[in-house]
Amino acid sequence: MKQENIRNFCIIAHIDHGKSTLADRILEKTGAIEKRELKSQMLDSMDIERERGITIKLNAVQLTYHHEGEDYYFHLIDTPGHVDFSYEVSRSLAACEGALLVVDAAQGVEAQTLANLYLALDNNLTVIPVVNKIDLPSADIPKVIEELENIGFSKDEIIFTSAKTGVGIDELLEAIIKKIPAPTGDYTKPLKALIFDSLFDAYRGVIISIRVVEGKVKVGDIIRMMDTGAVYDVVGLSINTPKEVKVSSLKAGEVGYLYASIKSISDVSVGDTITLDSNPADVALPGYQPMKPMVYSGLYPIDASKFEDLREALEKLKLNDASLSFEPETSKALGFGFRCGFLGLLHMEIIEERIEREFGIDLIATSPSVVYEVILSDGSKMLVDSPTKMPKREVISKTMEPYVKTSIFTPTDYIGPIMELCQDKRGTFLNMEYLDQSRVTIHYELPLSEIVYDFFDKLKSYTKGYASFDYEFIGYKESNLVKMDILLNGDVVDALSVIVHKDFAYNRGKVVVEKLKEIIPRQMFEVPIQAAIGNHVIARTDIKALRKNVLAKCYGGDVTRKKKLLEKQKEGKKRMKRIGSVEVPQEAFLSILSTSDK
Amino acid sequence: MGSVRNCYVHIPFCKKICSYCDFCKLFYDRKYVSQYLDSLQLEIATYYQGEELDTIYIGGGTPSSLSDSELEKLFSILSVLKKSSSCEVTIEANFDSITESKLDICKKYGVNRISFGLESTHAWILEKMGRSLDLDYVRHIIAYCKKIGICNINVDLMYAFLGESLEEVEEDINFIQNLDVPHISTYSLILEEHTKLYLDKEQSISEELDAKMYEVICSKLSDYTHYEISNFYKEGYSSRHNLCYWQNREYYGFGLGASGYLGDIRYTNTRSITHYLQKKFRYLEENLSIYDKMEYEMILNLRTKKGISKKNFFDKYSMKLEDCYSYLELVREGYLIEDDEYLAIPEKYFYLSNEILVRLLEECCYE
Repeated sequence: MKQENIRNFCIIAHIDHGKSTLADRILEKTGAIEKRELKSQMLDSMDIERERGITIKLNAVQLTYHHEGEDYYFHLIDTPGHVDFSYEVSRSLAACEGALLVVDAAQGVEAQTLANLYLALDNNLTVIPVVNKIDLPSADIPKVIEELENIGFSKDEIIFTSAKTGVGIDELLEAIIKKIPAPTGDYTKPLKALIFDSLFDAYRGVIISIRVVEGKVKVGDIIRMMDTGAVYDVVGLSINTPKEVKVSSLKAGEVGYLYASIKSISDVSVGDTITLDSNPADVALPGYQPMKPMVYSGLYPIDASKFEDLREALEKLKLNDASLSFEPETSKALGFGFRCGFLGLLHMEIIEERIEREFGIDLIATSPSVVYEVILSDGSKMLVDSPTKMPKREVISKTMEPYVKTSIFTPTDYIGPIMELCQDKRGTFLNMEYLDQSRVTIHYELPLSEIVYDFFDKLKSYTKGYASFDYEFIGYKESNLVKMDILLNGDVVDALSVIVHKDFAYNRGKVVVEKLKEIIPRQMFEVPIQAAIGNHVIARTDIKALRKNVLAKCYGGDVTRKKKLLEKQKEGKKRMKRIGSVEVPQEAFLSILSTSDK
Repeated sequence: MGSVRNCYVHIPFCKKICSYCDFCKLFYDRKYVSQYLDSLQLEIATYYQGEELDTIYIGGGTPSSLSDSELEKLFSILSVLKKSSSCEVTIEANFDSITESKLDICKKYGVNRISFGLESTHAWILEKMGRSLDLDYVRHIIAYCKKIGICNINVDLMYAFLGESLEEVEEDINFIQNLDVPHISTYSLILEEHTKLYLDKEQSISEELDAKMYEVICSKLSDYTHYEISNFYKEGYSSRHNLCYWQNREYYGFGLGASGYLGDIRYTNTRSITHYLQKKFRYLEENLSIYDKMEYEMILNLRTKKGISKKNFFDKYSMKLEDCYSYLELVREGYLIEDDEYLAIPEKYFYLSNEILVRLLEECCYE
């Protein structure tokens, strides 16, 4: 494989702008789809059956494209799934020289289009703007051209495609060859390979996606992870076409997979550099910056005996999700669990869902918290990522919370409602820019905690889904924060505590207790629910005691039915957690989230 | 010969179908009754092992809907069952079909206890139930029973219909008390699926009112012994047949849809009259493990005020009750009371019995 014939690129886009369809079309044009069909006929063989999971999960594909008498090798590196998380994108970008920036011909430039573009430029990638879905009746090509020109592209570098009909794909492939530079690494230097993804395979251990930047790696080499220091023998190297093809070596500029019977997940950290143990490189690659978690939440297994399973699940998920962090935590109410850090709410929901579905562990998630800074009266600073860690009010000199700058893209019709929403969320207006006559970008400074709660859902509903938004962390600002506790039957339930702005505490407390009253079923006795700041109760309601007279008659001695009824009732209780003397359903812990919708 | 001492016989026919009833019942039809009794005779002949019985309970449906001659036929079929000298023989009856002559027949064949479905004294509630009642006739029939020497009488009352007031419940109780019967059963309405009320989307009353009605009933019946969640008796008149259920003792169940408990098996008969007439009697059989039996022992015994006997439990299962269920927390919280002999749900928490049982069963120490 000639290095000058290699092109490493990824596709970036706002969600739903046609990234996957475009990728499929490129696969088809380069003949990879035929190979895919071939593979499906070969699926009976056990080996491939075993490996199939990998081709599905690892998303870097090598495609061969014949152009003007030369064979070119494209490595299309997928930016996995939800683009709401730029870290996913940034990780893939570090393995590429170029990026296709896809814009929907009807929707135009959106918040994530811009965010991804800036990420690509930060990584010194060559960006090819692609206007996709030009076959749509609602396509407004002149408008999209204008928008792209406004963000720095010239009209003649834009490629127009319809991934659906295939129009423009040839031009696109040609542009990839012409514009995206070939990789430049030196084969003869010591090995430097960037780990940009990894996953766990039951048969082969950890499988690592690498981009070789300098030097080369062969099967049988002894490699060392520069950050973790772990040393392994390379058992196999493969590329994905998308069928897995074993290769004997990978050279500078190439992208592929490496496995080395790695059983210990913690040895592999995405972003780390692999080098040769015998001839190590001096300095590691910059890799990419894993983003710091912005939102923390406690995850607890409902069944306490699943604690170790939960740890294993988190370790496996962390393999290809470096931004996930976790450490053991104990709650009086929930027992043993983990304090986990996420990039945002969607990230948190995805992780929770994967743990429940892929690992079969029923979870209770406590209400999410951002990381607060607390300056104590002795002048020292502490970071608080959980309400339980909030120090007593007497020793606090001031509290600070993280702020973000948001860019909200919206048709002008919704400027009013959006400003109203941002004011409600303690926002400070910065400025507003007109993209064209009908679309604006509104900039606000907002506390991150407000975004974490329900800002996104609200924004979508206020603007009928037309607005998109993005945000960046700008720093900490002083804010009058208090810890609000929830008491059930007089006992503080630590897992339900939240940190709130003092001015909003009363309102919040009222809504939370009402919400809990709806969710927690009647118990054998009356249960008061209180919200309190320190010893001061700010809201209260009561769950009435269960009174239903379930005196079912044993008709004609049909007691089997009675037993079945009890068993059903018993089954229903399994989804509940007993806290003190109160049975609390799983949903209660998240209900704190959706409080403002009343 | 087995050790069974109790027997239930089901007569599924009714003159009217009540809107709340989800039990096995059929509209009374003469041509079916005779065939049904033939099948019943065969079922008894097939399964009855000749034990001497302490209780026989003829329930329904409405056994009193049978005509005089059909009743005669029923009793002649049942004469194959051997009765102990003190055997309690109960029949259920409704006031719209019971007559003096039917009572005479019952008396003649040894019936010594009658359970009447009264349910309500209020016309609007009776109408909702799909029932009717002549209160004077009720008084007359009760007096007649006593006159012919059947003094062991139960009256059923149902309450908690939407719109029913506490006063109306009190009036019902007053009426029953004036009848001076030694046994009363009261049931809070349960809207069961497949009943007319359920299909008509009838709503439940609030839990608070339901509980209040129960309280009123219990306090008004203070001269009775509240020996089971829904049952009250005057000294000497507890229902021995029902106690057999609650004490988890074995019993035959004969007839359409009837349930029985023999040895390691709890069975339920078919609810299909066609199958029953084709002599396909059994529908479901549940094979009981020792743990199943222990669970039944708990949930049934704890319906009674006396509760579950620790000694009896040990005698039956060779395990101590406290080793099978960790109930100390429930005792500490007051939901269970225990002394050296018994573990019981206190009367004031009868209405929580389901929740208490679920917690108790969760705390089992086997599995």
